[in-house]
Amino acid sequence: MNGPGTYLYAVARPFDEGLLADVRGIGGGELRLLGQEGLTFVVSTVDLGEFAPGLLNKNLEDLNWLERVAREHDSVVQAVAGVTSAVPLRLGTVYCDDESALRRLAGLRPAALATLDVLTGREEWGVKLYAVPTRPPAEVGAAAQPGSGLDYLRQRRAALDRRTLEARAAADEADAVFERLRDIAVLARRHRPQDPVLSGVKHPMLLNAAFLIDRDRVATFQAAVAALADEHPEGAVVLTGPWPAYSFATLDDA
Amino acid sequence: MTETLDVATSMRQTSLVDLLDRVLATGVVLAGDVTLSLAGVDLVTVHLRALITTVREDPT
Repeated sequence: MNGPGTYLYAVARPFDEGLLADVRGIGGGELRLLGQEGLTFVVSTVDLGEFAPGLLNKNLEDLNWLERVAREHDSVVQAVAGVTSAVPLRLGTVYCDDESALRRLAGLRPAALATLDVLTGREEWGVKLYAVPTRPPAEVGAAAQPGSGLDYLRQRRAALDRRTLEARAAADEADAVFERLRDIAVLARRHRPQDPVLSGVKHPMLLNAAFLIDRDRVATFQAAVAALADEHPEGAVVLTGPWPAYSFATLDDA
Repeated sequence: MTETLDVATSMRQTSLVDLLDRVLATGVVLAGDVTLSLAGVDLVTVHLRALITTVREDPT
């Protein structure tokens, strides 16, 4: 499949297109507003070939392609969210033409307006909690050498019990951090923890959460995160944001 | 110096993973007969495969 396609970044209430004059879309494409009846898509024209199903799977495995498209997509969504409330769409949402996209927009109206109401005046913040040890693990050789098979089994059992307890404590800790911050948030959700291989952080991730925060409570939220950081080993609590409200973009009627 | 570079690389990688968490796993999925959305793609697998490939290729 080749030729031009319409790439969708976000849904918003109508706004002055000129505010996005300095922002470019995927592959440098010019941004356009595509709207009707108090609702607009932010779109740009892309080459359908790049997003055709067969080639897309190949492109997605090319991290350079994926990173470029993810950053281009994000920079548009960020720019829109900087101007007005925006419901971000999933990366890679492409329609064959503007008319098809507009037809889809009509059906989204009630859900989109409801979500925009929820997101107005709020922003997303991310908090990650890592299991950073407070002290180095005991030397392997320091434990008493087992004198018998029975001793060996006892030691092994004790080590397994200790690990189970530690895992339970870590899960409780993640729940506690999540609950404390959820009290300040309008909405909260937990993403899947990131794999250390992918994140490049050697400590296991216990919590990968997103919070939707009222703009006038952001300072309170940041102070709560700073307090949690003080209670944990250095580097255990990581704050990211503000993000466009990616984690809270839903159009239930869609 | 090496440590600074490692930290910078790690930060960049982390922020990319944070970004992919969002743009690949959140955001509204629009169904429709003309959309070419990635909704049908197993994104977790794609995401893992792409990044693991990169980690393996990393000369350090």
